[in-house]
Amino acid sequence: MWDELQFALILTVSGLSIGLMYALIALGFVLVYKATDAINFAQGEFVMLAGFVAAIALAGKLGVLGAVAAAVLVMVLFSFALERVVLRPLLGRPIVAVIMATIGLGAMLRGLPPITVGGETRAVTLPIGDTPIEFGPISLPPVQVLGVVVTLLFLAIFTWFFLKSRMGVAMRAVADNQQVAMAMGINVERYFALAWAMAGTVSALGGVIWGSMLGVDVQLSLVGLKVFPVVILGGLDSIVGAVIGGLIVGVVESLAAGYLDPYVGGGTKDFAPYVLMILMLMFKPYGMFGTHRIERV
Amino acid sequence: MLHRESGVFKTSYAADMALYPLPIARATIAAIVLLFAVVLPLVFDEYYLAIINLVLIAVVGALGLNILVGYTGQISVGHAAFMSVGAYTAANLAVKLGLPFWITLPAGGLMAALIGAIVGIPSLRIKGLYLAIATLAGQLIIEWIINHTPAISGGAQASIEVPRPELFGHQMRTQGQLYFFLLFFAALATLASLNIVRSRIGRAFVAIRDQDIAAEIIGINIYRYKLLSFAISSFYAGVCGVLYTYYLGIANYEQFQIGVSIDYLAMIIIGGLGSILGSILGAIFVTMLPIVLRLLMEPVLSMFYNSGEMSAVISSFRLVLFGGLIIFFLVIEPEGLNRLWRNIRNYFRVWPFSY
Amino acid sequence: MASKRQWLGVTGLASVLALVAGAAMAQEKELVFGLQCDRTGATQTVGVFLCPGYHDYINLLNSKGGIEGYKIKVLEIDNEYKVPPAMEAHERFKKEGAVLEGLYGTPQTAALNKKLEEDKMLGTSPGFGTAAATDGKRYPYTFPIAASYWSQGAAAVSFAKKQLGGSLKDKKIAYLFYDNPAGKEPLGVLEDLAKSEGFELRTFAVPAPGVEMSAQVLDITGRYRPDFVITHLFGRAPSVSIKELKGKGYPLSKVVAFVWGSSEADIKAAGGFGVAEGYHTIQFAGVGTDFQVIKDINAMYQAQGKPVPKEQEISVLYNRGVMVAAIHAEAARNAIKAKGGAKPTSEDVKNGLESVKGFTLGGMVPPMEVTPEDHEGGGWVQVWTVKGGQLAKDGEWFQAYRDVIKKHLAATN
Repeated sequence: MWDELQFALILTVSGLSIGLMYALIALGFVLVYKATDAINFAQGEFVMLAGFVAAIALAGKLGVLGAVAAAVLVMVLFSFALERVVLRPLLGRPIVAVIMATIGLGAMLRGLPPITVGGETRAVTLPIGDTPIEFGPISLPPVQVLGVVVTLLFLAIFTWFFLKSRMGVAMRAVADNQQVAMAMGINVERYFALAWAMAGTVSALGGVIWGSMLGVDVQLSLVGLKVFPVVILGGLDSIVGAVIGGLIVGVVESLAAGYLDPYVGGGTKDFAPYVLMILMLMFKPYGMFGTHRIERV
Repeated sequence: MLHRESGVFKTSYAADMALYPLPIARATIAAIVLLFAVVLPLVFDEYYLAIINLVLIAVVGALGLNILVGYTGQISVGHAAFMSVGAYTAANLAVKLGLPFWITLPAGGLMAALIGAIVGIPSLRIKGLYLAIATLAGQLIIEWIINHTPAISGGAQASIEVPRPELFGHQMRTQGQLYFFLLFFAALATLASLNIVRSRIGRAFVAIRDQDIAAEIIGINIYRYKLLSFAISSFYAGVCGVLYTYYLGIANYEQFQIGVSIDYLAMIIIGGLGSILGSILGAIFVTMLPIVLRLLMEPVLSMFYNSGEMSAVISSFRLVLFGGLIIFFLVIEPEGLNRLWRNIRNYFRVWPFSY
Repeated sequence: MASKRQWLGVTGLASVLALVAGAAMAQEKELVFGLQCDRTGATQTVGVFLCPGYHDYINLLNSKGGIEGYKIKVLEIDNEYKVPPAMEAHERFKKEGAVLEGLYGTPQTAALNKKLEEDKMLGTSPGFGTAAATDGKRYPYTFPIAASYWSQGAAAVSFAKKQLGGSLKDKKIAYLFYDNPAGKEPLGVLEDLAKSEGFELRTFAVPAPGVEMSAQVLDITGRYRPDFVITHLFGRAPSVSIKELKGKGYPLSKVVAFVWGSSEADIKAAGGFGVAEGYHTIQFAGVGTDFQVIKDINAMYQAQGKPVPKEQEISVLYNRGVMVAAIHAEAARNAIKAKGGAKPTSEDVKNGLESVKGFTLGGMVPPMEVTPEDHEGGGWVQVWTVKGGQLAKDGEWFQAYRDVIKKHLAATN
């Protein structure tokens, strides 16, 4: 009995911590959507790119802080370039166009490593060791604890940013109604760029942490598929929603794998979040915290 | 096509609404049909026919997806799952009941249509990105069900060997024979699509794409037509899956995963959303891209790399090029290859009096 | 523009010349081998090390005069671990007159089984593909030539039995596997052995892409607590499994991995040899660089003034490539000899492969024997364990439970 309870507790905590790390990736997606209305299907490839930069920087003896800084720098520059070259011309197009553009971008990013730096798996070794940290009956690998801390930190920073700071309020204004924001004297382009830069930073940290957990190679981009159930559950443009959605998805996956899998032979954790997501969509088409879109005919 | 329309006067409604109103256009079409049916298989050898066969299969799938995404405006990322539904249905019927292909093919298509309509139910409530993700969920769920139900998948291997299609006692095995088999169905699919989009159903689809709330107000039953669109599109996908199964001789779920869905989306975007010709052009383009790329790059690269590394470089390059082309077409020419063709055609239509 | 047209013309001319030259060269004493590889797809981490090994062995042979005077030309095509490119690659090999084909990937092999038979071209699927292809009567042109997943499963159980003191009665074994057809293939054999040897077997499936398995590993280490763990994972999953098992405190010395979770690359990606101490791996080719053939290959590179290929660092995969090439070459050699020196057809090479025996390449290849009935060669494996920072041999080549395998083969018919 106690064993079963312990098992459930460990599963839940493990799910919560993984869920927060999903939220870290989802934050990048939500930031971009919230500020610029663009949907980034290539979020996983962003994380992969950041991972590669960090791994190569570490191999080049740059130290952990240097690697993280390098990843952030590359991702920010890349995001600026992306916004300029690809997304600006696609403003106002049907949504399938933007989705396909980022899918195409994702394909390009996946093809680049083997040609340029070689496709073998690299390790991102963080100086925090491998021995799990114990919290009573629960033990978590240090990298997951780091991930939890980073995600919660970002959650706090971004929530404060959007609620209290001038720039945050300006960004929300831009997201709400671009024309009026421009009329109010807000430099829309600058805030677009800022939003992408923030997303790039989050992706960079995500890349370092996930790369450390899974190893960096082209397959790292597959973590991007997890973003969708998370942001749909939480609402496409809600930061808090991303975190809560991530927690829910993490726990659901963990419990499904622990309890359902033995009966059906495995694999339930893959689509359990999606089933939950579809149910959510039928009742709340915009997610838990997403803003309701009003369509005008 | 490129023909002059001056001097041709139509005297009845039927003549006006015909698929090919100009007599010379009909002659051209007949010539093209002759080319495909007779000349091509005689000229090309097995290797090239194999490539053309793959293209023919892709055409059927692309046509179906374009009806859903291009004409009705519903995004679907689950096309490959419907193909696998059709493939496994046909494979099971062929192996367990020994039914011939002219029964298993429509059966596979109908089963896929049914599943497609079910997956399409969320489209009645959600749109845009949310719908795309819902169809992604459908893809994953269908994959999982097939993988984990031995009754459908034929065991742990999840592949079912299928005997080659038989016609009047002859088994079709060589690329040449399979070519005719596939050509027939590709032509049938094209003809059917051309007629659907010109009919009442097609006009309803386009109305839904443009402004679905307005369409509902003027009396189009959008629920019915949305589900019909999913069903028709999935029927095509199911037939595509069955054709692929007969072509390979085996049904295997690993051939119908999400990458394939993305490939088909790329085909219709590059070809042109909302156009039949676009689907065909896109299917040809995306299927042949890796092959043409390799043929072009090999002589150049063999000077720098050995055979193995070259292969890796070409494949990575194909991914980069593939993604780059999607972005290129979206940014520069959003209506795809179809638009390019139309521009060329319009130029010649009134040449040399372009003013 | 003139310059663009010129460039296009030059490329076209170069292509034509290359084709003509290629055709002209084919008139000489030359054999074409086809090799499918995955250098950019889901299993690229394997292909980028395995295929260079294949090329290097063939280059070595060619530098010493080829096989009985015939030079070998290797045509490699990347199938991106997808089926349509694999089909197209097979057609291309056929067109170029290849006499044999090295396949890559389980779904690709399954899709091509029938075509190989129709086109009378043999295809090898070492360490993957369908185990049923061991039966040469059923699949005359498909050759596993290395332990199939059934044989690997039997060998893993046999090894566990040895490690647990000679008996498995009332012991618990966990099978952690990738949730796809290849991963599920050994289930029948494992369940059979569980009954006959008296142990409890529980299976834990890891869904694709195999990068998250914390719940499964938690279930194993926290609830089930087995005496031994057998893993059958691919791609990224093996390294993640090493980290997860170790992270949850399960001793890696009680873990044995199938052939695709057993390379230096997996161990490195898990954090290095220090982390993986005690991890057991099943191999179907020799490991490390201490073989005559590897020394010959390195000598060949040095003679050309080039550095030793860095792919040899992942010797597990590189050596597998060498082994496949060596077996292909042996098959061709047998075929040429059987034809008295004349150029063999693909059917001759198939007969040549079916007469390969006693070919060990200095210990890199197991003492396998390929016959028309047994296309697997006997299912020989060897266990190498991580000891003191490197992979060390843990016993000689062995086969396990051949009677059980034969029973399952008969059942598939």
